[in-house]
Amino acid sequence: MSRLRIAAWGAAIANALFLALEVAALAGGQTDWLPMWFVPFLVAAFLAPSVVGLLIANRQPRNVIAWIMLLGPLVLTVQTGLIVFGEGWVLQADRATWPLLYAWPIAIAFVFPNGRLLSRRWRRVVGLAIFSFAGFTAMASLDPSPFYGEDASVSNPLAGNTVGEALHVGWTAWILWVGMLASLFAGAYAIRLRLRRSTGIERLQTMWLAWALALVPIVLVLCFLSGLLGYTLGVTVIDWIVFPMLMGIWVATAAAIGIAITRHGLYAIEGLVNRTLVYVALTALLVSAYAAITIGLGVLVGGDSPWVIALATLVVAFAFRPLRARIQDLVNRRYRRARYEGVRLVRAFEDEVRDGLRAPEEVSAVVAEALGDQLAAIYFWLPETEAFADASGEIVDELPRYERSRRDIGRDDARTALLLHDPALLERRDLLDGVLAAAALSIEMARLRVEVRIQLAEVEASRTRIVEAGYEERRRLERDLHDGAQQRLVSLGVQLRRLQLKLPREAAVLSPAFDQVVDEVGAAIADLRQIAAGVRPARLDDGLLEALRELARSAPVKVEVEASAERAPASVEAAAYFVACEALTNAVKHGSPSKVAMRAIRENGTLHVSVVDDGVGGAVVRRGSGLAGLRDRVGALGGTLEIVSPRAGGTRVEVVIPCES
Amino acid sequence: MRIVIAEDTVLLREGLAGLLEDAGHTVLARVGDAESLLAVVAEHEPELAIVDVRMPPTYEDEGMRAAVEIRSEHPATAVLVLSQHVESRFAVELVSADGGFGYLLKDRVLDVGEFLEAAERVAGGGSALDPVVVKELLVQPHDNDPLAELTPREREVLGLVAEGRTNAGIAKQLWLTEKTVETHVRSILGKLALPHDGETHRRVLAVVTYLRASAV
Repeated sequence: MSRLRIAAWGAAIANALFLALEVAALAGGQTDWLPMWFVPFLVAAFLAPSVVGLLIANRQPRNVIAWIMLLGPLVLTVQTGLIVFGEGWVLQADRATWPLLYAWPIAIAFVFPNGRLLSRRWRRVVGLAIFSFAGFTAMASLDPSPFYGEDASVSNPLAGNTVGEALHVGWTAWILWVGMLASLFAGAYAIRLRLRRSTGIERLQTMWLAWALALVPIVLVLCFLSGLLGYTLGVTVIDWIVFPMLMGIWVATAAAIGIAITRHGLYAIEGLVNRTLVYVALTALLVSAYAAITIGLGVLVGGDSPWVIALATLVVAFAFRPLRARIQDLVNRRYRRARYEGVRLVRAFEDEVRDGLRAPEEVSAVVAEALGDQLAAIYFWLPETEAFADASGEIVDELPRYERSRRDIGRDDARTALLLHDPALLERRDLLDGVLAAAALSIEMARLRVEVRIQLAEVEASRTRIVEAGYEERRRLERDLHDGAQQRLVSLGVQLRRLQLKLPREAAVLSPAFDQVVDEVGAAIADLRQIAAGVRPARLDDGLLEALRELARSAPVKVEVEASAERAPASVEAAAYFVACEALTNAVKHGSPSKVAMRAIRENGTLHVSVVDDGVGGAVVRRGSGLAGLRDRVGALGGTLEIVSPRAGGTRVEVVIPCES
Repeated sequence: MRIVIAEDTVLLREGLAGLLEDAGHTVLARVGDAESLLAVVAEHEPELAIVDVRMPPTYEDEGMRAAVEIRSEHPATAVLVLSQHVESRFAVELVSADGGFGYLLKDRVLDVGEFLEAAERVAGGGSALDPVVVKELLVQPHDNDPLAELTPREREVLGLVAEGRTNAGIAKQLWLTEKTVETHVRSILGKLALPHDGETHRRVLAVVTYLRASAV
C-alpha cells in the first residue's frame, strides 16, 4: 500500500474519530451547540465525503478530488480536539474555519471530474478564491475581539495580540467576504460551464454535481442574511435553515460523485464499490443469520449448547456461496445496470446460437447493442493472412480510424479479434470488460467460422485456377501436336515424295516402298490428329456448337445437337464439351440408346448442358470414373453435375456452370 | 503457274515449293506470315497463293483472314488454304461463296498428284474442298432428307462433286466413264432440285450451298 493510501486511510479514520468525539461531547452535555436529533445528519454529512474520498483515493491515490473530500471535513472535525487547550481555542478556530464549510465543495466544482481547471484563464479565478478564503481565515484566526452571545463568558485566548489588533480592519474583512462570495459563484458557474461543454458519459457524470453545487453561494448569502438579522433584530430562525442546507449540500456532493462513480463509471472504481457493497451486505446478512440461529435456538434449547453453535456455523457456511451469488446479482442489477443488461443480452444471444437460431458472426452486432454503441464493430483476426475480416467474411484492408478506440480481444497473448468502439466507453471499462468477457466464446467461434469460410473460398478459387490452367495446358499441348510434330511429319512426307519423284529410272523399283512409307507417315499424322482432338478438340475454337456437332457426327447413333451460338469462357466451354463427350461415350457404351439429345443453352448467366438418351438407364457415378472426374472439374468452375438414370428410363446428365456474359 | 507460298514452318515451306517447282510451276515468293503474304500478293499478283491457316503472331486464323482479304482485293489471285485440322465453318463458307478458293488438310500434299490437280483447279477458278469436310457435310442430319433418296454410288459422286472435282476427275477416281458420271450427276441434281448447267464450279457451289443450308 502506498504512503498516499495510508495517509488517505489515516485522514478518513481521524475524521471518524474526531466526529465520534464531537458526538460524545454533544451526548455527554459538554457542549450543546447542536440539538441531539440533528446528530445523525451531522454524522452523515461529515462521513459521506470522507468515505467517497477514501474509495477514490484507494484506486487513484493522487486524485485531487479525493483529497479535497478527505481533508475538507477533517479540518472541521479536528477543531473538536482543540478542546484540550480550552474552549476558547475551539471557538477561535471556529471563527476562522467556517468558510471551509463552503470552500471544499466549491473547490471540487473547479476541477471536477478530471482534476484540472477548465482552462488556464481559470487560474486567476482560483487565485482570487484562495486569496480571499486564506486571507479571511488568517485574519479571523488572529481576531483579538471577545466572543459574543452565549459564548461571551469565554475569554479569547488571543485577546490583545498585536498582529491581530493591527490587522483587524473592518472593511478588509468585507472585501475578503465579497471575494469569497464571488469565488463561490465562479465555482458554480465553472461546473455549469463544464456541464454545458461535456457530452455523453461525462455529461451524465457532471450533471448531478452541477445541481448540488449551484446551491453553495446561495447558502452563503442566506448565512449572511441570517447573521445580519440575528445581529440587528435578534431573529435566529434562518440559522436553522443555513446549517442543515449546508450539510445537505455536503451529502448531495458526496452522493453526486458517488452516482458518477457507480452509475457512470467515473474513475473506473465501480468494481471496488461493487465488491465493498457485496461484502458488507454479505457479512451483515451472515452475522445476523448466525446471531438469529444461536439466540433463537439458544432460547429454545436453553443454554449455549455446542450443537447450536455448530448448526449455526454449518448454515452460514452453506449459505455463503449461494448468498454471495445472489447479492452479487442484486448489486450488479442495481449498480452496474448497463453491464448487467449488456451481459444478459450476450448470454441470450449465446443461447440462441446454441439452439441454431442465430449465426455466431452476428456477435459483432450484439456486442454493439450491448455496449450501446451502434457503430462498434468486431474485426476477426486471421493469423495466416495476417489481416482482419469483418463479420461478413470480407478481408478488411484498412480499419476505420475516425474517432474510434481499438481494443484487442484474445486469450493467452493470441489475438482473436479487434473491437473498434466509441472512445467514451473507455470511461466504462467495467461495461466493456464484462460484455467482452461474456462474448469471448462467441467471438472465438465466429472468428473460426470466418477463417474457415475465407480459407474455403481461397481453396475454391485455387481449384478453379488449377482447372483453368489445366485447360490452358491442354490447349497448348494441342497446339504443339498440330504445329510441331504433325507439321514435321508433313514436311517429312513431302521430302520423301520429292525424293521419290527424283528417283532415276533404274531405281523405279523403289517407288512402291516410298509409297508405303509415305502412307505410314500419313497414318501417323492421322493418329496424331486423333490424339490432339482427345486432348482438346480444335473445334472448340469455333465454339461449343461446332465442337458438339463434330462430336455428334463421329457418334455411331443419331445425335441431336442444340446449342447457343453465344460464346462462353474457354474453360467453361471445354468443361461442357468434355461432359458431353463423356456422357455420350457412356450412353453408347452402356445404354445402347436409339438416339441421344445434347443441348448447351445459355440462360441467366449460366451454361446449361444436358445429354439425354433413351437407353437402359441405371447409370451411377462411381468413384474414379470419368463422370466423377468431370463432376470435380465442373465443381471447380462453381457448377453442378447431376445424373438422373432410372432403370429402363434412359439417362439424363445435367450440368449447370455459371458464366458471366 | 505463278505461285506464292505463306507457311511459317521453313522445312515444309521449302518442301512444298520444291514440289511445285518440280512440277514446273514458278514460286515467286515464300513468306512466313500473313502480312508479308499480302505484300507479295500485291506485288506479284500471282495466279495462286498457298496459305497456312495458323501463322505468327497469334497462330489462330491469320491465314484464313488473309485468304478472305486476297479474294476480295485481288480477284485474279486464287487461294488454296492448308490446315492442320478441320475448321469447316470458314472453309465451307468461303468455298460456297465463290470459285478460286480451296481448302485442304495439309497431309493431302502427300498425295502429290491429287494436290497438284487441286491447286491447278483452284487457280483456274474452280474449287477444292477437303474430303473430310465434305464427309461431315454429308453425314450431318439434314432436313426432310432428300439425300436419303440417293443411291450409294450417287452419294459417292455427290461427295466428289462437293470436293470440287470435274467430271473427268470423278470418272478417273471411280474408274467410270465420263458419260456414266454425267448421268449420275444429272440424277443427283434432279433429286436435289438443283439447276443443271455445264459449268463445273458453279455446280460445286450449288451442291455445297445446298448441303450447308440443309444441314440442321
